[in-house]
Order: sequence, then structure tokens, then C-alpha cells
Amino acid sequence: MEGKYKHPGTGRMPAVMIFFVIMALFLQACAGASATSTPGPVSQEQASQTATTEGAIQKGTLRVALQPIVQTDPALISSDPEIMVANAVYDYLVDITPQNTITPRLAVDWKVSNDGLTYVFTLVKGVTFHDGSSFSANDVVWTFNRLKNPDVGSSTADLYANIDKIEATSDLEVTFTLKNPNPFFLFDLSDNHALVMKVNTQDPTDFNGTGPFVVTKYSPEDRVIVQANPNYFVKGEPKLAGIEFIFFNDQTAQVDALRGGQVDLVFAISTDLYTNLQNEQDLTLLDVATNAFDLIRLRADQKPGDDPRVIHALKLATDREAIFNLVLQSFGEPGRDSPIGPLYTQYYTDQYPLPARDVNKAKQLLADAGYQNGLKLDLHTPDTGNRPNLAAVLKDQWSEAGVDINVIVEPESVYYGENHWLEVNLGITGWGSRPYPQFYLDVMLKCGAKWNEAHYCNSKLDELMTTAGTTMDEQKRVEAYHEIQQILIEEGPIIIPYFFAQLGAINNQYQGFVMKAFPGRSDFRPVMFTGS
Amino acid sequence: MSPGKRKAPILNIKNLTVAYRQGDEWLDAAREVSFCIQAGETYGLVGESGSGKTTLVLAIMRYLGANGSVRQGVIELDGQDLCTLSESEMRQIWGRKINLVPQNPQSALNPSIRVGEQLAETLRYHQKVDPAVARRQVVGLLEMVHIADPEQIAQSYPHQISGGMQQRVMIAMALSTEPRLLILDEPTTSLDVTTQSVILDLVRELIHGRQTAALYVTHNLGVVAQVCDRVAVLYAGDLVEDASTKDLYRKPLHPYTRGLLDSVPRLGETKNQVQLRGITGQIPPLGERPTGCVFRPRCPLVIEVCYQRPALYELTDKRRARCHRWEEIQRGEANAQQSSPEVIKTEPINTKENQEVLKLVDMKVYFPLRHSLGELVRRRKPRFVRAVDGVELKIRHGQTLGLVGESGSGKTTIARSVMGLVEKTAGDIELLSIPLPQKLSDRDLETLRHLQMIFQNPEDALNPYLTVGGSLSRPLITMMGKSGIEVDEDVAKLLVRVQLPAGYARRLPEQLSGGEKQRIAIARAFASNPDVLIADEPVSSLDVSVQASILNLLNQLQIDHGSSLLFISHNLAVVGYLADRIAVIYLGQLMEVADADVLFEVPYHPYTEALLSAIPLADPYAEQTQIRLEGEIPSAIQKPSGCPFHTRCPRFLGEICVNKTPPWRLDEETGKQYFCHIPVSELRQSQERVFTFKYSHPK
Amino acid sequence: MSTKVPGDLTNLQSAASSRGRRFATALKGLYAKPASAFGTTIFMVFVLLAVIGPLIAPYGENQIIATEAKQPPSTSHWFGTDNLGRDIFSRVVLGARDILALSGLGTLLAVIIGIFLGLISGYRGGWFDETIMRFFDSLLALPALLLALVLLGILGPSNNSVLIVIVVVYTPIVARVVRSVALGVKTKGFVEVARLQGESLTWILTREILPSVLPALTVEAALRFSYAIFLVASLGFLGVGVQPPNPNWGLMVSEARSNVNQTPWAMVFPAAAISIVVIGVNLMADGLKRVFQAPVNV
Repeated sequence: MEGKYKHPGTGRMPAVMIFFVIMALFLQACAGASATSTPGPVSQEQASQTATTEGAIQKGTLRVALQPIVQTDPALISSDPEIMVANAVYDYLVDITPQNTITPRLAVDWKVSNDGLTYVFTLVKGVTFHDGSSFSANDVVWTFNRLKNPDVGSSTADLYANIDKIEATSDLEVTFTLKNPNPFFLFDLSDNHALVMKVNTQDPTDFNGTGPFVVTKYSPEDRVIVQANPNYFVKGEPKLAGIEFIFFNDQTAQVDALRGGQVDLVFAISTDLYTNLQNEQDLTLLDVATNAFDLIRLRADQKPGDDPRVIHALKLATDREAIFNLVLQSFGEPGRDSPIGPLYTQYYTDQYPLPARDVNKAKQLLADAGYQNGLKLDLHTPDTGNRPNLAAVLKDQWSEAGVDINVIVEPESVYYGENHWLEVNLGITGWGSRPYPQFYLDVMLKCGAKWNEAHYCNSKLDELMTTAGTTMDEQKRVEAYHEIQQILIEEGPIIIPYFFAQLGAINNQYQGFVMKAFPGRSDFRPVMFTGS
Repeated sequence: MSPGKRKAPILNIKNLTVAYRQGDEWLDAAREVSFCIQAGETYGLVGESGSGKTTLVLAIMRYLGANGSVRQGVIELDGQDLCTLSESEMRQIWGRKINLVPQNPQSALNPSIRVGEQLAETLRYHQKVDPAVARRQVVGLLEMVHIADPEQIAQSYPHQISGGMQQRVMIAMALSTEPRLLILDEPTTSLDVTTQSVILDLVRELIHGRQTAALYVTHNLGVVAQVCDRVAVLYAGDLVEDASTKDLYRKPLHPYTRGLLDSVPRLGETKNQVQLRGITGQIPPLGERPTGCVFRPRCPLVIEVCYQRPALYELTDKRRARCHRWEEIQRGEANAQQSSPEVIKTEPINTKENQEVLKLVDMKVYFPLRHSLGELVRRRKPRFVRAVDGVELKIRHGQTLGLVGESGSGKTTIARSVMGLVEKTAGDIELLSIPLPQKLSDRDLETLRHLQMIFQNPEDALNPYLTVGGSLSRPLITMMGKSGIEVDEDVAKLLVRVQLPAGYARRLPEQLSGGEKQRIAIARAFASNPDVLIADEPVSSLDVSVQASILNLLNQLQIDHGSSLLFISHNLAVVGYLADRIAVIYLGQLMEVADADVLFEVPYHPYTEALLSAIPLADPYAEQTQIRLEGEIPSAIQKPSGCPFHTRCPRFLGEICVNKTPPWRLDEETGKQYFCHIPVSELRQSQERVFTFKYSHPK
Repeated sequence: MSTKVPGDLTNLQSAASSRGRRFATALKGLYAKPASAFGTTIFMVFVLLAVIGPLIAPYGENQIIATEAKQPPSTSHWFGTDNLGRDIFSRVVLGARDILALSGLGTLLAVIIGIFLGLISGYRGGWFDETIMRFFDSLLALPALLLALVLLGILGPSNNSVLIVIVVVYTPIVARVVRSVALGVKTKGFVEVARLQGESLTWILTREILPSVLPALTVEAALRFSYAIFLVASLGFLGVGVQPPNPNWGLMVSEARSNVNQTPWAMVFPAAAISIVVIGVNLMADGLKRVFQAPVNV
């Protein structure tokens, strides 16, 4: 009965309503304020126009979406984003064109001795580092000596082991002396890591390069902002006022951002994402045939991969055609378990047949190797590109042969970080396109090579690889490569199901961007902004 | 008293039936109730739980919930049938023509609006007076209800004033609009006896001479006898008797009324003098009412014709009873007295020389108050609530000691401290002459067996998830170490002891009535054959008709087991019935200790005197001195110095009562002990017996 | 004899007292109102799916049929196929087992630990209570998802880690509920009588206090269960809880994002499954609350 005494209504409701309305407006304003931190159509700060050394107007800030970078020391970079950023900030001695030919960059001219052991480079005059100091031959010498030094931990230590000495033979002249002839030496000199640094750099992550863009802000895991280098040695370049490299962990988010106008360029996207961009009006699609591939490898130095029958069983359990259709959706070329792809024309051969899919034989082989109850393995894969889909398809295909896969998808920075990818037993690794196939062989398949992720050692293969890599006889080289491909199909530790095209998209307003097969090496210098 | 003229009644209820919807059915909560109230008349509505009095009040106010409805009948206020009015029309009536004084003033007052403002709001809304005038009227209203310092109270918030004062405010609010009908719904149930008496006085004073009709709803027969002119007795939805107060008490016509009156202990009557008789059976729940006369299953005079529903027979139009045999009862040919089993005693027990089983020596229980940060900083000494402040008690073997006090007296704290549920601050307790460890965890099973307790609220007394048998078996297993078949046998024996069927062992508490639950709780307490049993308000939550049987049960069990009983209550009549010796406690201090048969005689401690004069006697013919205490019970945090009663004592001597602790005095003649500065001889001279009953219990 | 509560008109609940009858009454109560009936039905349907899933799913959870990729819902593939050619209906059905089992087990563990800690905390109080409750306060201050991510970062992604995450995130809440009921019950007469009659702590906690806790606890457990489902799905979506190609519904939604233009059904059906189950269990929890409430007196 209590509380039933009725009071007439008090005038409290209007006051309460007003309070809530005010609170709502206040919160709205706060939310609005923080929204401006996402990038707008054209960043206001960099809309300012600067001039190139030739007086041409530089405008536009290209916003690139990419996975976060971890390494900024040029000697240690490995992923596409890391290389792309470095390529904007530093210069190579010589560069590689989209057509796979060598072109001058910091070296303007060179002469090779007849025995192929001496290379003399003439350097560009009047180049300065971002800190204002002048560039000279000493910088080149210091850079390559560092790259050669195994203590630094770069994969180039193996690559440049063949270099006997490097000398600054004059202020703007460098001489390389090799131990053995190397027909691909110029390509080697343009290795992804071979960015020229200032002599005696104390902090190799200081971004002090000679490159077309200067780092104005690096906020880890967020973005790198670079501005055009007003003192760049190439006249009229760069044409952009600046670049903003914005990090996204998620490729779908990158594509969404592109669609939404928050970024201008995405690359290395999966086939799925690419096909979704088919009908966008203000985008230019980029599709470059490459020698990039995904490989699947089981370590040959551990159980169960130490028994070649196991690896062969896996090969037999793989349905390559299904993979090509489903995962790649035909954007690329079929692979033949060797890194020598069709792009290498004469070096490539398809004369050796790939084994047809045979699940029963695979089971038999496994039983012979002692695994009659099948295998249980962990498959590690980075989360980018087509690799997760590839893992899912492999899981299904291999399960029919009794191989039970546990897929472990990891972010790129984790998979490639701290050599994790080299240590896992079964993994999928993506390899970028290289200008010549020898690189893969030297770095991936030679006994004890730094990036020999399959931990594979075949002396016959080693011999062939050395021949191919050192002989000056082109025909001999072709034969060697063909034989290598045969051995790899029959006994090799890796499965390469396809070579994938490099897929990307760029906003129409930016012209002049040519994506290279290894997208990190794409040249931003000629890109120009044609919008308003 | 009702005026002699026969004017039109203010409230006229004719054949009212109110029902509630439960699922698909409509269940009648009140059936064919008819009565009327004249102007200036206070009409009492008496009933236990399930009688329908609440329903009637809600119906009269047209304030039933969504599932209640008036199925038939007429509710006329000044001739206008309220059932025909819409809600907006009713809103003109609520607060103006009909007003309510609710049971709990605390929740009826808006805690965030000052008291004066709430009163003024009523005035402004109903009488459209302007604010300044309203403020003046508010002061006047507060003076009308005898609030000293009305301006101060008007500025206070409800939580800053005491319960008694809140209720006065509610009465003022109710009368402020000069209503035609004033409904008082158990307005004093939540108040202390001494406060209650003042409020009752106020109600009587304010109704008298006004033209307001008052409907006073209560279950307390004493209040009815003192306040109401006429009474209607409700039982299980039926109006079973309607008479003037004097007629009802002197010569009840309905067996239920008789049973009720017989079950209420009269102040001053002990168990050795009378035998309380409870009413057998239970009140039927809604929807399970017996066919025919609703009291049939419990009536000692039931015959064949009782299977047909009796009409409301009229002796006169103001004296009605719903019983087929009313004429026989009126002529004295039929005796409607209940035949409860008598308490079997072999001989009156003299416990005066027996061994002491429980002894409290200078017991103190202080609760420290939490320090506020400010006090901590200022290094104030911690304050205490002195709940129990030096109490000495002795209970002998086989004896019942009654401990009587109002709220804040510390009686429950004493009980809990003896049981080990609360830690005492100082003093000794001896059980069977052995010091009793304070902490419950320090007491071994043997000790626990000797000392058991019964709690007030029977609803919480039993584990709802154990069967009755389960609950009863626990003490047998844990304290008595029994197991297996023996346990089942003992459980059955216990049930028999408390007069419940053996089949009850399989029941769950939710299937029992309140009285039955309390019986089980008692059985459980006696399971270990304790030497001392502490009963803390064991019957206060029960209906009146059930109380008597529980009291008798306690008495019987105590005799059978040879246990001693410490019986705690605020109800002096109940205590007086059951106890051999009584101790009166006020603010943690004993005021008087005496044998039960002499407590109610001169000389009294001043507090006892006031207490006895404040208790409403269940007899309109009784005579009672009117001693009213000023003010309220002080807070135990700020206990008055010297004699704690000095702030309200009508026999206040002066400085000595404030400064000096009174001595304990002994009256040689009666054996009473008092805590007072006034010498015994003076008290004996200046006091006279506070109350006398003119008529003895009806036979 | 029938029930009576002093001071009120009697309630009409009949003497349905045995435990079995109580369960049946509870079930009937759940079906009394449409919302909770709906919720309970959903719950039971999905539990059924989880149990018989492998029997009714037409395809395997990772069965890739290259030729039938990217097909919209049809008679052969009720929910269509995803970009790799996997049947979405089968994956949703099989995913039910994973998600319900993981959430269910996690909730059960959280409830068991929560009961234990809550009872002791509520009944005993003292320093134990203070310490535990402050510790739980600090855990509760962190949003569940954030806490989950941190824990998973430490423990590494796997089913067991997700289980631990659920336990860590939800035990404090359960313990709180148990504790508050225990605090209320411990002052009741029958508990004090139990103490006065020398009952052991174990008995008091399990037989005197715990039964009163169970109604509120059941409701809370059902609610936690629904949140746990949501948490597992969220973690799957973020790619930290479970690994592809596990048919975790959240993971399925995440994988389908890159193809949402071409195969929207690959996202819609798993997302709908998550919503329906979470809403259903929530409604059921509401119904349980209603059922366990003391019957309102007439």
C-alpha cells in the first residue's frame, strides 16, 4: 500500500532532456574532432607545391597502402614494403628496368674487363645525401664492404662473397674485383639491399640516403611520410611533392581504403581482392606478369622431410590444376616446382613432365616411409596474398592422402620476422620476382645458403648451380638450368604451384607509375599527379 | 461513539465482491462484504493475513492493480457509487475526499523533498492556495498533530525525522484536505509501543468531533479496542461479524471472533492463571476456500448445515454475524471456545531454587562506528553504539526468563552475543557454570548442543532447498552423532512433538504455513535437547490465531525437556503469559527484573509504568492510566548519561538522574529489583496499578 | 496443506516440489512468453546442430570442390559456396559444434571457478574477499576483447588459449554474482542456525548457501554463454582465436570480406548464425530470469 500517494507531475522532464541533448552535442563535437586524423582526399600539409631542381612544379602526395615495415636498415630489409620505402629514400648503384635490363642510377657508366673479373664504375657528380654531405666513391666502398660482411647478417654476405675487393679508385670512381667471373654481377649489384649509404654511418636506420625523397616523419606501425628531395641529382625528378606510406595490417582494409579514397595505391593484393576491383571507375588496374611465386616446402633435414619419399608423396597429393584455377583464378602461370619461370624465356623449360596427382600412390609412399597412419603437420603461412587460400586448399587436398594439416596463419611481420620462416618445418613462403634466376638458386637452394628454407643439400644440384652461375658460356648455362629443373621436379624439396601476377591498383589521377615485377623496386620518380 | 442520529452514512459498501485474476480464473478475495461508516465514526476492520482487508481497502480506494476487479457490489461515498467513476474523476476524489495514512510512512514520503514542501504541495494541488498561504497552513497542520517546533520539522527531510514524527506528518497530510473518508492502514505497526500510544491518542483526538469517517485497518485487537467505535471482523474474505467494539469484545457472536479473543494473551495474565487457546487449522489460501461456511474446518460448533454458506444474519442492523448458530451463541447455549490441547503439567514448577544454567555478568556489547576521514584526521576517539551496557542476567534450570524492550533496547544483541553470532566487548557468560567461549568457532559440539536459538522470521528459518525431514535431521547427525534409521525415527518423534503429521518430513518449506515453519524451527532447536533455548521474537511474525498455539507449544516442550527459555519480545502481554521472570530493558540497560506475577503490580519502575500504560489493551472496558512519554527513544550512539531513561522519565528527579548512575534497589515484599534513584517506598506510595480489566475472559 | 505467507494473500503455485518437476516447470515457464520461447528454441536447435552436425552436413568442413566455387545458394548448396568451393551450409553447421563447445566449456569452467571463489568471498569476507574482489575489479576494468587480445598474445592462438581467455574474462563476473547472493543469504535465519548447530563450512557453503545462488547463477551463466559465443566469434574474426580453415563463424566472416562483392552469401550466413545464436541465448537468459523470480503475489 505504500507509495501510492500520488503527487502531481513536477517540471523535471524538460531539464533532463536539455541535459542529454547538450551531452550528445558535446560528444558529437569531440568525435568529430578526432575524425580529422584519418587521411583526407589530398593531405593539406603536402598540397603545397615545391620545385624540382629544374624548377618544374612538384605536386601531389601519393598515398600508398602497405603492410607495416619492421626493418629500416637497408642491409636487413626483406619485405616488399621495406624495400619500397628504402627505394624512395636511397639510391642503388645501378637499377633494373621493368624489362629486366640494367640502367644507371648512382653509377653513370661502367666498364667490364675481358676476363669478367674487374668492374669499374663512374659515379654521378653533385649528388648529396639528405644530411647535406657530398656523395663520393668512399660511400660506395663502405656500403658494399658492409654488405659483404657476414657479421652484419645480410643475405648479401653470401651473394657478395665472390667479390675480392672494392676500391675507390678516385673521388667518383669505384672498382670491384671479383674472384670468379659472374655473368650476373651487375644484377647482383642491384640486389634489393644494395642501397648506397653514407660512409661510416653510425645508425643504419637513420634514413640518410641520396634518394628522391626525404623522410620527414616515421611513426612505426603507422606511416612513413617522405617529401620530395629538392636537391635530387636527376633533373626534373621526382615529380611528386611527396609520398605517404600508410601501414595497414589487413589487405582487405587496404583495398577498402583505396575504394574510399583514403589511399591512392595498393599492390601485392590477392586475386580475390583484385577481381573485386574490376568495375571501379577511378582506378587503373595493374597486372604485371612476374616470376614471383609461392612455394611450399618441408624441411629436408628433419623428420619427416628427411625421407624424400615423404616429399614426393606430398607432391603427388597436390592437385596443381585445382590450385591454379581456384586460388590464382588464372592470374599467372603454372609452376613446375622450380624457381625458373616462363619469364626467363630460354632458361625455362617445360619438357620434363610433372607427376599427375595420385592420392593412392602418395599414401603408398608414405606407408613405405613408415607413415602408414598418415602424417600430422603444422603448416605456417603469412596472411597476405593468396597464401592463406593456398593453405586451405592444400589442407583439403592433402587430407585425402592421409596428411593432416594444421594451418597456422601469421602476420607477415611475424612469419618473416627473426628468421621464423626459415625455422618452421612446413611453410608457405612468397618469393618476389628477380631479374635472373640464379639469384634464387644461390640464395635458396645452395647447400647452406642463407635463405635455404628447405635446408636442402644436393651436391649434384650444387655443382650445376655453380656452373650455371659462373660460366660465361650461355649455352652451357641453358643446359645447366634445364637439368636443374628436371632434378627439382623429381627430387626437389619444394612445390611451386604457380607464378603469380603482381596485382594492384592506382588512382587515375596519378600517371606514370609502372609497377615492376618486384613491386618494391617500382620507381616513384616519374610518377606525376594530374589531378587538381 | 457513534452519534445517535441516523444520518446517511459517508461510506456505504453493499455486497462488495472483489476478485483477482490468476491465470484464467478469477478468485474472490473478498465476498459480499457490506458495511457502512457514519460521519465521525471510527470503524475498525480486523483480520489476519488472507482476510482480504488489504483488498477491500484497495477496492474502496479504486486502486486495485491490473489483475484485480470489483465483480459485484456498490461502493458509495456520500451516495455516489465510486465504481462508476473514471480515473480522471477519481483523481478529484483521491487526496481530497478519500485520504490514506499508510503503514510505512518512510516510503510514503518523498525522500528528496522537504516535509513542509510535501504538505504544501498537497494543499496547493487540491485547494489551489497560493504558496505563502500554504506555508502558513503547513505550520498550522504540524501544530495540529502536536509537533513541537513545526518550522524546524517543515524544513527537514523525511529521513531526518523519527518514525513517529513521520507518521504524524502523514496524518497531517491526510487531514489537511478535510477528507470525507480517512483510511488508516495499520498506521502504527512499524512503531514502538510508546510511540504508538501517542499516535493512537492523536488519531482519537483528531477524528473526534470531525465529520470525517475513519476506516481503521489492523490485525491488532488491542488497538481496535482502544480506537474504534465499531468493528468488522474479516476472515478469509468474508465479513463474519460486525458490531460495536464493546459488544464484540464482551459477547462475540461468531466462533472465529471468539477464537481470536481467546488467543490473545491479556496483559498481566500468566500461564499459571489462564490457558491460551489458539484456533486449530490454517487460514485457507485464496482459491482453496472451503464450501459453505468458510470457517467450517476450524469451527468447534460445526454441524450439517454449515456446509451451506451462511448469510450475514442480523441481530440488529448494527449487529450482524455470518453464522448459522449465532442465536445459540447469543443465548449462551453453544460454547464457541476452541478446544486446543491443554498444556500438560504435572505440578506448578518452582524454579527459584534451581541451579543457574545461564549467567550473564556485566555484559557489554559496543559496536564501533566507522570513522569518517575527517574524524580520523582530527584524531577523534572512535564512537560506539552501546547496544548492551552492563547487563546481568540469571536463568535457572527449567525457568523461562522474559526479556522485554522496545527497539534499540539491545535485547536481540544480547541474544546474538550469547549465541556467539556477535562478539561481546566485555563481561562474562557462564553456561552451566562453565565460562562460555565467545567465538562460535571456539565452541565444541558439546557446548553447542546445550545452547540453541529460535529466530523471529519463520520464512527465513528453514533452508528452502531441504525437506523438513532434512532440516530436522541435520542437528541429529551433526550434534548428536546419529545416523541411519535412528535419524529417521527421531525426526518422526520430533514432528509428533510439535504436533505435525509424520508425512511432513517429505515436504519442502514452501509448502508450509508460517506457523508450521516456526514449529519445525522449534522442533529443530529442541532436537539436541538443549539446556538453554533462546527465542527471539518467535511469534511476532505470525498471525494472532497461530501465536497462541506456538506459545503453548514452547511451554510444553520446555516442560518436557526440562529446558530453560530466554524469551525475548517487545510484546509485554505475550512475555507476561509465558515467562516466570521478566526483565525490562531500555537502551542496553536493565530497568527492572521481577517475577511475572508481580511485574504488573505496584511498585513499578517508571519505564515499566509507562510501558504498561502505553500498551493498547484488548478490552474496551478496561481502565488504563494514560502516561505518555515525551520525545523518542534516544539513539544508542549518544546514550544519555547517568540513567538512560532520564530524558523521558515522567518521574524525573533532577540533576541526580543526569549525573549519577542509579543503584539497584530491591523491594523486599515483591522481590522486584529496580534500577532507579527513587526509593521503593516512594514509588509504592505514588503509584497505582496502571490497568485493570473489568471483565474476565468470556467463557 | 497449502502455502501461506503472513501478511499477503496466498500465491497459487501448487506444490510442484521435486527437482524433476521443477525443471519441467522451468521449461514451461520459458515457453510461456514468445520471446523466451523463441530464444530457447533457437538454443536447442543449435545445440542439436552441434551434436548431429557431422551427420547432417552434406560436405566436409574443408572440402573443396573447385568446380563449384562462388555459387549462390541453390538446391545442392543451400547457403552457396565460397571462393574456394566450400559448402557454406556445411561449414556453418560444423562451425556450430566448435563455437558452442568452446564457449560452453569455457563458460562452465568460469562458472565453477566463479562459484568457488564467490562463495568463499561472500561468506567469509575478510582479507580474502577484499583481495580477490579488488583483483577482479582490475580485470573487469579492461574491456573483454582487449583482455582477450592481450592474453592471446601471451598464450599464442589455439583453442586452449581461447578457453583460458573465456575463463579469465568471465570468472570475475560470475564470482561477483555468486558473492552478492551469498552475502544476502548468509544473514538468513537458517544459515545462522546451521552455524549454531555446528555444521561444517563445506556443508554451509554447498547445502545452505549454494542452492539459493543457483537461480541467479543460472541466468548469469546463460548470459555469459551468449557473450562467450560472441567473444569467440569476434576473436575468430580478428584472426587471433582460431586458425583457418577452421569453420569458426567469425573467421568465415573475416575470410569472406575480400570477396563480399562476388560472394556475399559467404559472409551473410555465418554472420546471421552468430547473431541468431547470441540473441537466442540472450532471450533465453531473460526468460530464465523471469522463471526464477519469486512468483509475484496476488
